[in-house]
Amino acid sequence: MLTDFALPPELAAHEPAEARGLPRDGVRMLVSRRRTGQIGHHAFGELPDLLLPGDLLVVNTSATVPAAVRIGGALTVHFSSPRPDGAWLIELRERRGGATVPFGGGEEGQELGLPGGAVLRLEHRVTARLWRARLSTAVLPYLLRHGAPIRYSYVPRDWPLESYQTVFGTAPGSAEMPSASRPFTPDLVTRLVARGVTIAPLTLHTGVSSLEGDEEPYPEPYDVPPATARLVNLTRAAGGRVIAAGTTVVRALETAAANGGGVTASAGWTSLVVTPGSGLRAVDGLLTGLHEPRSSHLLMLAAFAGDELLDRCYAAASAGRYLWHEFGDVHLLLP
Amino acid sequence: MRGGARVPSVAGMTTTHRLAVITGASRGLGLALARGLAADGYHIVADARDGGALRAALAGLPLVTAIPGDVADPAHRAELARAAGELGGADLLVNNAGTLGTSPLPALADYPVDELRAAFEVNVLAPIALTQLLLPGLRARGGAVLNVTSDAAVEAYAGWGGYGAAKAALEQASNVLAAEENVVRVWWADPGDMRTAMHQDAFPGEDISDRPLPSAVVPALRRLIAERLPSGRYRAADLLPASPPGAAPASVTVLTGQA
Repeated sequence: MLTDFALPPELAAHEPAEARGLPRDGVRMLVSRRRTGQIGHHAFGELPDLLLPGDLLVVNTSATVPAAVRIGGALTVHFSSPRPDGAWLIELRERRGGATVPFGGGEEGQELGLPGGAVLRLEHRVTARLWRARLSTAVLPYLLRHGAPIRYSYVPRDWPLESYQTVFGTAPGSAEMPSASRPFTPDLVTRLVARGVTIAPLTLHTGVSSLEGDEEPYPEPYDVPPATARLVNLTRAAGGRVIAAGTTVVRALETAAANGGGVTASAGWTSLVVTPGSGLRAVDGLLTGLHEPRSSHLLMLAAFAGDELLDRCYAAASAGRYLWHEFGDVHLLLP
Repeated sequence: MRGGARVPSVAGMTTTHRLAVITGASRGLGLALARGLAADGYHIVADARDGGALRAALAGLPLVTAIPGDVADPAHRAELARAAGELGGADLLVNNAGTLGTSPLPALADYPVDELRAAFEVNVLAPIALTQLLLPGLRARGGAVLNVTSDAAVEAYAGWGGYGAAKAALEQASNVLAAEENVVRVWWADPGDMRTAMHQDAFPGEDISDRPLPSAVVPALRRLIAERLPSGRYRAADLLPASPPGAAPASVTVLTGQA
């Protein structure tokens, strides 16, 4: 039962591939094929050979912002997502032993002093973890000056922001790296182009992890431009496959396809959660990382692979000592 | 520009008219763009100082709200924002209204500073202030801001110091806004020379009938908006198709040139 598997600590990627002596594209890639039920073990660098000429790879251009701000009282603020009115969803974390754990405190109306003289006012609790809050100054410029990349306990030290950027990241806005694109290098992109794989961009700025199973999803800003919508529809009409580089891309494309009749260019905010029940209207395959037990991402993966194959994939990844999380190995789910 | 996502959740998605706020829409490029966007299905909220001219110009558009006033007037800007809010919020703000400043164009050495200040009010501060008012709604809908600029912002044309410096300030404000806003598109577009009253004021007594009509530029701006191109500076001439269907080639070739 995939929601119950236990993730041994040694299977978390503790540092970027480069720090493990590998190039970015040197991570491993589990490949599953729904039609045949087969599972294969590959290097990420084999991706151009695993995709077909005429396939469309859709990538997220959102770049990571340094969204963690350390403040007094051993607290750290994680800035997750903007709200249209200028407020932000934030998470309070307590620093403990070189990492952070969720902090249950905080009161409505409380004002927290941040570095550089900024003040963060807590408006009200939105979920068990997240507050709606307002910073006394513009958030993005403030974070670029005072923030550090968000890091969880399985990564024991800070890494520079560049370690959290993907080759496609041009639009700053994500609190956490859209990590499925992390292994891509300019050389690998060139080989994809030479293979005849088309690449199209969209943007979805993702907030702090990951919509856990027991938490209502919060809206994230997304943008599927017309040129990309056209390419998706054209590719599928011509019998090619649309492969999403990351769960954020699935979320954006399925939102843009929610009205039926293919993908319509659209932008706005999405709270869509893709599950086996919701099905897939726009995307045929998914390149993604290895996900935590109980995360809603696993429901999305089940929409691609089905429960039985997905269970076997995670058993194979675990037995094969694949590495989990944003600096880890990847999983290509093909139709 | 968007597929009708007026609300955050997919379940609540509706398909209502998109709303564009266009300043300076009684004539010239503003009017031509209002007509073009109306043809694309936009509800237009438009202003101009001359209310009679504005209403006459926009008569016949299917969905239009005309609000006469001066963009440099804070109360008028608030009125525009209120009208947009009552209609559900703007998807697009076009800061088109501008002033050439003193005509004939004086050298900077002789430019009356009060007139220069007035030109900055209209060309720089008014668009920034109106953008501030509309930004929350634009963010909510993944909307866009289009600021109309000029090559006088980047080239040194003698006599264009007041207008050019103001447009340069507007361009840099657009540039920074694009860096600060991660949901809203920000474009600043140079339409090129056009046969408009402003252009005639810049060249009093000269024959400007060789310049293209503003309507020739509209397809370029409609493409910018419809394709949701990335934030940045655009020249209208670069956005026109290589051989626009039904357009005379001459209207394209004369789009380069000064101001």
